[in-house]
Amino acid sequence: MATHAVANERLRALEELEREIGASLQSAGNVILELSKEKANERALERQAAQFSAAVQKVEAELSAQIRYLTQVATGQPHEGSSYSAGKDCQLALNRVDYARLKLGELARTCEQMLEP
Amino acid sequence: MEVVLLLPRPAMSQPRVLPQSKETLLQSYNKRLKDDVKSIMDNFTEIIKTVKIEDETQVSRATQGEQDNYEMHVRAANIVRAGESLMKLVSDLKQFLILNDFPSVNEAINQRNQQLRSLQDECDKKLIALRDEISIDLYELEEEYYSSSYSLCDSNDLPLCEAYWRQEPAAFSPEGLSMPLTAATAEQSTATSQSSTPSHPHVNGHGTGPTEHS
Repeated sequence: MATHAVANERLRALEELEREIGASLQSAGNVILELSKEKANERALERQAAQFSAAVQKVEAELSAQIRYLTQVATGQPHEGSSYSAGKDCQLALNRVDYARLKLGELARTCEQMLEP
Repeated sequence: MEVVLLLPRPAMSQPRVLPQSKETLLQSYNKRLKDDVKSIMDNFTEIIKTVKIEDETQVSRATQGEQDNYEMHVRAANIVRAGESLMKLVSDLKQFLILNDFPSVNEAINQRNQQLRSLQDECDKKLIALRDEISIDLYELEEEYYSSSYSLCDSNDLPLCEAYWRQEPAAFSPEGLSMPLTAATAEQSTATSQSSTPSHPHVNGHGTGPTEHS
C-alpha cells in the first residue's frame, strides 16, 4: 500500500497545487477589493497580500521540483508493463468459484427434491 | 524564443506525430511556468501601482479614471489568463507523470499483480478445501450405500465399472465382430447371465475371460 501511495502522492501534490493556484488568485482579488474600499483595513490587506505572495512562490517552487524530477526520470519510451496476465488468471479463478457454486446449488436442489415427501 | 524543428529520421519509419524530445518538452514546461508566474506578479504589481491617486494628471481626472479602470480590467484579465495557463500546465504535468514516471508505474503494476495473485490463491485454496470436504462426505456416502442392501438388489445397481464391462459383450456380440473370439464372447454372455458373480470380459481380445469359461 505504501508503494501505491507513492505512485499517487505526486498526483495528489499536483492537485494541491491546482487548489493553491485558485487560492492565490482569490487572495489577489481580495487585495484589490480591499483597496477599492474607502477605508481599507491595513491588517487584512497585509494578510491577503502575504497569502498571495506565499501561494505564488509555493506554486513556482513545487512545479519546478516536479519538472526537475520528471527530467531525471522520463525516458521518452512507452511503458509496456501490464497486469493483464494476473487479471486473467484471477478472472479464471473467480469463474471456477462461480462454477463450483452453481454445481453445489444444483446438488442442493436435487437433495431437497429427493427429501420432499 | 525557441523554435521546434521537424527533424527527419531516416533510420525509423515513424509517422510525424510530435517531434519534440522529452528535454524540449520539459524545457517548454519550465518556460511556461516562469512566464505565467512573471505575468501574474507583474500585472498584480502594476494594478497596485495604479491604485495610487495622483494629484496632478495630464488629462482630466475623469479621463484618467477611465484609463485606470480600463488598464485594471486588462491586467486583471491577464492575471486570470496566466492562472488558467498554470492550471493547463499542471494538467499536462499530471499526464506526463502518469505516462513517463516509470518507477511509480512499475510499483503500481507490481502492487496490482500482487493483489490479483493473492485473490487467485485465496479462491483456489477455498476450492481445494471444499473439494477435500466433499470427497470425505462422498466416501462416507459411498460406503453407506454400497454396504446397504440397495446396491445388491439389481444388476443395474452394480458399480459403474462392473456395469460397463458387463454391458460391453451384450452390446457388441450381435454386430458380429471380426475377431475369433466372437463365438466365445457369445457363449460368455449366456454363461454370465446365468452366473451370479461378475466376470471381466475384454472385447479387445485379451482372451482371459472366455478361456476361463470355456
